[in-house]
Amino acid sequence: CLSGIATVTKEGGGNDVQWCFSQVKGAIDDDVAEADIISTVEFNHSGELLATGDKGGRVVIFQQETENKSQPQCRSEYNVYSTFQSHEPEFDYLKSLEIEEKINKIRWLPQKNAAQFLLSTNDKTIKLWKISERDKRPEGYNLKEEDGRYRDAATITTLRVPVFRPMDLMVEASPRRVFANGHTYHINSISVNSDNETYLSADDLRINLWHLEITDRSFNVVDIKPANMEELTEVITAAEFHPHQCNTFVYSSSKGTIRLCDMRASALCDKHSKLFEEPEDPSNRSFFSEIISSISDVKFSHNGRYMMTRDYLSVKIWDLNMENRPVETYQVHEYLRSKLCSLYENDCIFDKFECCWNGNDSVVMTGSYNNFFRMLDRSQRRDVTLEASRESCKPRQVLKPRRVCAGGKRKKDEISVDSLDFNKKILHTAWHPQENIIAVATTNNLYIFQEKVN
Amino acid sequence: MDVEAKRIMALSISKLYSLRTQRGGLKLHRSLLLSMTMRAARDIYHTAQLLRDAEEEQVVPCAPDAAPEEPMEISKDSPQTLTPKEVAMKPQEPKETLEEDKENRCASERHSRKRRGKTALETDFLPLKKAKMETDEEKQHLQGEVLRTNNGNSCRQAETLTAFPTNRTIVAC
Repeated sequence: CLSGIATVTKEGGGNDVQWCFSQVKGAIDDDVAEADIISTVEFNHSGELLATGDKGGRVVIFQQETENKSQPQCRSEYNVYSTFQSHEPEFDYLKSLEIEEKINKIRWLPQKNAAQFLLSTNDKTIKLWKISERDKRPEGYNLKEEDGRYRDAATITTLRVPVFRPMDLMVEASPRRVFANGHTYHINSISVNSDNETYLSADDLRINLWHLEITDRSFNVVDIKPANMEELTEVITAAEFHPHQCNTFVYSSSKGTIRLCDMRASALCDKHSKLFEEPEDPSNRSFFSEIISSISDVKFSHNGRYMMTRDYLSVKIWDLNMENRPVETYQVHEYLRSKLCSLYENDCIFDKFECCWNGNDSVVMTGSYNNFFRMLDRSQRRDVTLEASRESCKPRQVLKPRRVCAGGKRKKDEISVDSLDFNKKILHTAWHPQENIIAVATTNNLYIFQEKVN
Repeated sequence: MDVEAKRIMALSISKLYSLRTQRGGLKLHRSLLLSMTMRAARDIYHTAQLLRDAEEEQVVPCAPDAAPEEPMEISKDSPQTLTPKEVAMKPQEPKETLEEDKENRCASERHSRKRRGKTALETDFLPLKKAKMETDEEKQHLQGEVLRTNNGNSCRQAETLTAFPTNRTIVAC
């Protein structure tokens, strides 16, 4: 039975996987345009498509090219498949508030037909997008020319049947549903149910259940808004449906707790079925204890038996059958604990890091500062720190493990805590559902790393 | 420790203030965390001050020609005014000041017999008018849909100010 804090025994991560550089997307320019800041990254269910959302409200989808059989060394690449403007900035006139167009989350629907569907959301509105391919078009209309102009009726002497002719592949994105006006507060999560008919959206105080076909109504399933807002002590920070049980979802709070709810128990899930909470370590108490215990992300494992939470300094794995403490705890960057005051000053302490599982739930990954990201191998109790950097961008270049020196004498190849660049943060990462391919977002670049093939 | 607390308190307040000008509307989560940190820092700061005041009071009787307490003068100059309830918990409440009506002010003067000269000055980092405005508008944001029916000058306003999130939480502690 796994328990306690994982310690580093030797380096390596992901079952002896060596990671190498594959691609980087985005501008090389150091001067980052705010609209280009990546705000979410998500693989679809097959891993063939990789979507990113940015602060400018755009969605960019990359598609994995089918492998080149003649060159087995050449790993399949992701190339731009579709780009579209998902959300625009809006203005709420009643409250005199601007609504940001930043894409907070993207979630793919499982594929049912030739088209692909995804949900994208900003602070207030969720949209269902259909991404479809068009590779043929009808030609030979009777009343129109090929360019669309109408033909002079007098010149038409024969009738013909229009036929489909091949054309260059065109990928179209069209908004099929707009789920608006469901949330008073800022949406932080969306999650598609395993029933493929419903999904949930969560804001700071409420969670709503939607049907994918119905846009004018949603059901409120969780409401933690106090009668008197002055009594507010915690907010919802993330929510997710169970991967297999369509009646179960979890939501995390700013107090470091996770509640599991069963929609069969009652219509309003204010009373949780399970409450996951670890007692605070009194020796670690500081002014900032509240902030660093706030959970920034919660993710179920693929097998549905565990869930992972990310708070400011650690990643915790919880067994759904054990509520009083996590089964594993991993320190992401413990060396920051003594720097919390500075991190409060520069607002970094409020950064919301996400986390993700690999396909078989044996390794988890999360980001850190200085463009570092961490791979935590659960099965082998090893962890490694890697860096997404333009300096390691040669094709198939193997990533070298990085080390941070917390104090004392700095060894060669180590970087001291004070040299870390806190502006270079990796908040969003994603792992291909089946293969060892990862997508890591720095501020405005998307790095794709793959397992080294021998 | 209380120097640190004071710094964090000031930092928190300025961050709360700047939250309002950010694009996208007030971030509830962020403002909640900032408020909590500010309150935690303030607790430490006030506790430290209480201790210091207690020490000072012990020192005073040893100096027979020291001027007798001048509660009326000091209280008038003092930026802090207190409701009787608050005196029990923490004698200085920089936020809940200005709008206290005259009744409350008199009551607090009767209670606040402690010498406050030095400590009053120490809170000059908190511009009072600003603090009041901030409290008001913070509440507006936090309450969201609640329509304000007065312009902030009535006695009722004072009531709600003292009931700002902080008190109940602190009393519970």
